[in-house]
Amino acid sequence: MLFLPSWPTDYLKRRDGQLQGPLVLHERIKGGLRLAAVDAEAARRGLSIGQNLADARAMVPDLTVREMDRPLLETAFADFADWHSNASPLVSVMTDVTGFGDLVLDITGVAHLFGGERAMLRLLLTRLRDLGYTVAGAVAPTIGAAWAVSHFARSQVLEQADLETVLDALPVQALRLAPAQVAGLTQMGLKSIGQLRQRERKPLQARFGVSLLTRLDQAYGLIQERMTPRLPMAERYAERRFADPIGLMDDVLMTCHDLAIQLSIRLEAEGQGGQAFHLFLYRVDHKVMALSVNSARLTRDPEHITKLFSNRSERLEGEYDAGFGIDMIRLAVSSVSELDAVQLGAFSHQGVAEDLDQLNDRMSSRLGIMAVLRTQLVESHIPERAARLVPALAASNDQARDRAWPLPPRPLRLLPVPEMVAINAEVPEGLPASMIWRRESYKIEKASGPERLGAEWWRSGQRLQLVPTEPPKKGETPPHIPNLALFEPDAVTRDYYVVEDAAGRRFWIYRQGFHRDGEPAVWYLHGFFA
Amino acid sequence: MPSPDQRQRLAALRETIADIERKPALAEARALVEQQQGEFPRLAGGLLQEMFTDERRNAGALLGFALAQAKGLLTAQRLAVVYLQLGDEAQKLGMPYGPGLLSFGFDPDALVLVRAANVAELLWAAEEAIACRAVAAVVADIGSHAKLLNFTASRRLSLRAAATGGSIFLLRYGQGREASAAHLRWRLSPARSAHGRYDAKAPGALRWLVQLEKGAIIKNQTEFVLGWTENGFATFTAQRRGTDRRIGGTTLPRAVPAQLADGLPQTA
Repeated sequence: MLFLPSWPTDYLKRRDGQLQGPLVLHERIKGGLRLAAVDAEAARRGLSIGQNLADARAMVPDLTVREMDRPLLETAFADFADWHSNASPLVSVMTDVTGFGDLVLDITGVAHLFGGERAMLRLLLTRLRDLGYTVAGAVAPTIGAAWAVSHFARSQVLEQADLETVLDALPVQALRLAPAQVAGLTQMGLKSIGQLRQRERKPLQARFGVSLLTRLDQAYGLIQERMTPRLPMAERYAERRFADPIGLMDDVLMTCHDLAIQLSIRLEAEGQGGQAFHLFLYRVDHKVMALSVNSARLTRDPEHITKLFSNRSERLEGEYDAGFGIDMIRLAVSSVSELDAVQLGAFSHQGVAEDLDQLNDRMSSRLGIMAVLRTQLVESHIPERAARLVPALAASNDQARDRAWPLPPRPLRLLPVPEMVAINAEVPEGLPASMIWRRESYKIEKASGPERLGAEWWRSGQRLQLVPTEPPKKGETPPHIPNLALFEPDAVTRDYYVVEDAAGRRFWIYRQGFHRDGEPAVWYLHGFFA
Repeated sequence: MPSPDQRQRLAALRETIADIERKPALAEARALVEQQQGEFPRLAGGLLQEMFTDERRNAGALLGFALAQAKGLLTAQRLAVVYLQLGDEAQKLGMPYGPGLLSFGFDPDALVLVRAANVAELLWAAEEAIACRAVAAVVADIGSHAKLLNFTASRRLSLRAAATGGSIFLLRYGQGREASAAHLRWRLSPARSAHGRYDAKAPGALRWLVQLEKGAIIKNQTEFVLGWTENGFATFTAQRRGTDRRIGGTTLPRAVPAQLADGLPQTA
């Protein structure tokens, strides 16, 4: 656990060298401007979080004041957290108390790479202090204990044997409690965790809720606490560090190729292949850029992987910014499963489907996954629902189709949104005789229809559910039902006609709803026949 | 210093080689066509074909003609047709529709739809797709005038197509013709459908009027009235020529064959 108490001010100072002197960030809390973050110098001169901004200005005349921008700080901290994945693959930001400042690293099985837990903690702390961050850290068997120690004690490595003695001495705030809970405990005279632990559990639960006991148990390791790593968990990866940072995309891609070869040798030895590949570029200035590509079928072909990344990188263009350089590149693979080696035959057909999938991969990596599509037929009589476009990467080829049914006439091209047309007919319910579409008129010579497609009767009388209905709050007895129109199958029944104009163009048009006297019919054009 | 006679022979040989290198697909296709007389030829793969129609509202017929040819190229080894369209032209031209493909006689599973963001990406995707040996044909639907789609681009595409054996169909709209390296150029317009069998008022089997504007592939015949069934093209004799003056033999602004440095015509 790493704790950066004055991360917002440290970060802003690092980002903008002009900021000097005591710096505070203010925020509007309950209608008043109050301090939300205070740097070390301001704290030494008596300012604290929660103070009124006017008071603070009076106390420290040369104060530098900025407004707190939480979304910016949160994203910056997330980047900062990603950068720490060069220490451990499992990093997450703890957002229980604040959106930034608490960093959780799972260093199980990693510490020996840095010469033990103590050395690793020292390395992480000194490296951040050199950059000008105020930081405290702790290594402990549980997340709760590490949080408590990093916030309320000096930085240290806590062994399982010392867990109870150290935690017992810490104040109750160290349990990540809500302010109301802390106030209640102080009222009861319970100041340290040790005192709290000796009390009966049931009255505590009755008074402070189950969350107090959960936090207590989490700190002592009686129940498990999970962390959600920010970056996808990579089962296998290859990485390369550079003595001098590199910047050019071409260099990155060449390295990527080398790493892909390393990775494929390992995967081949294990008889595995992967579907998702991630390239992490660690910048010198604590940012990580992640590029991900997917493959439709399991692969370990380094050429193919490199090709996907080079396509993906061309889509970046302006976004790619190496900053001061990249000092580490990691290629990770996920969604790994067994892939047997196959013998390639010169005359066999089996490689063909694979080739097509690789083509789809390449096109998706450059144009985007939603740009390469396949048609999936759906059992529905409503034309726009009868076919669905799905990404080619995800489409499954095995669709059972009942070909015995005669096929009704359907247009070769369908307009995504039907366009309104003006139709004249000799008799109101007869075949259309002329049409105006896109400001041109067409004389209709041949027409057939109608093919009546009804709406789904099983939805009749239902209201549109645009938002899920909220459960009623206290004191608000009748639940609010939005007064939306009921679904009427009659109104959205369509009569489709195939029409042909004098030049032989053939269109698919429909009339919305039934014909009613006195009401103008509404017609739409929906598609073109070949 | 070779003698003038030798030089002449060398030049003739160079020309022959250039012809073989440049248009091997067309030479092959010509040989195939000569066996099928009178009928609309079943063209082999490896050709870059431009298909023009005068207006965007004929888009359905144009796609039909391209898919009808592409269907003939599908084999067990070449099992896909890639359709390319600009993402923002879907509403203008409509998108290929699965059940419609089925009733046209084309398997929707064999069609991969690609929606590119701009013409550069579309051309990239076309080259990438035609290089794949599993692709039988690429159908590129370009609804508006594109500066990037110039002679160089079409030359690249035609060489790619000839090298890999898949066909590229460029669907274009309008009356303007630019210099291009396409092997064949068609001009298509829909024609009145056949007489309905059971209902005289209903549209019958479809008919297209197809004119070959470029590429001397078929002797003595440049105009066809075509029908289409699931099993292939049907050829009909053209009737009532000249009733519609726009479809009849108007003079179109033809592209001037580009002359490259070697003095050999590239577009003829």
